[in-house]
Amino acid sequence: MNGWLLAATAVLAVGLGASLWGVSTGPLGRRVTAQNLSTALLCPGLLLLAQGYDRTSYVDLALLLALLGPVGTLVFARLLADELAGDPPRAWGPTWAAAALGTVVVAVLCAVAGPGRAMVKLLIVGALLVGGNLIASRALSGGFAEVDRG
Amino acid sequence: MADAVIVLTLLAVAGCATAAVVNRDPARQALVLAVLGTVLAVLFTVLQAPDVGLSQLAVGSALTPLLIMLTVRKVRRRSAAPKDGRQ
Repeated sequence: MNGWLLAATAVLAVGLGASLWGVSTGPLGRRVTAQNLSTALLCPGLLLLAQGYDRTSYVDLALLLALLGPVGTLVFARLLADELAGDPPRAWGPTWAAAALGTVVVAVLCAVAGPGRAMVKLLIVGALLVGGNLIASRALSGGFAEVDRG
Repeated sequence: MADAVIVLTLLAVAGCATAAVVNRDPARQALVLAVLGTVLAVLFTVLQAPDVGLSQLAVGSALTPLLIMLTVRKVRRRSAAPKDGRQ
């Protein structure tokens, strides 16, 4: 087991544990937040796994997760809007922590990969991950209420 | 030692699937199911089957929750409408 796999195991343990506990207990707002954070926490884990197995094609999984995870959260934000309107979940602390984790992992992997096509792909994954996470969190906390009504 | 990550994800899949069954509200079940889809994709990656993981990710993380939530909304509207009509 190399260091990358060890780091991936640590990130996945934290991400899986936190999202599983958050999504299966507590009020609805916390569950939706945990579902959003599961994307943001598991995507860096997948990136680290790709580096650990030394298969660059595994990065595609992280790319797809960074693209589709926020879409899934937006589905819940739209269809649970009535239930969430009374108590909008505002979890900016965990959101920024997850975004920081994604940024750090992508930066480290970019430094290892060096300039080239792989680095561009990693940067796209990182941008999609952080941007999608922030947009989904904003939608959950009711930031796009005017758009929903329209 | 390299099996640790496989054991970890297998335990997470088992816990997540149990949580999806134990929750009774369909909306909350859909939330747990979305997480379960993502965790299953990680399990397939760890087991060196990224092609299966890709399709699992596409279906499990966005499409299945969307279908379930649309169905739940439609059923709730349909069961609420006759009551309003009688009253």
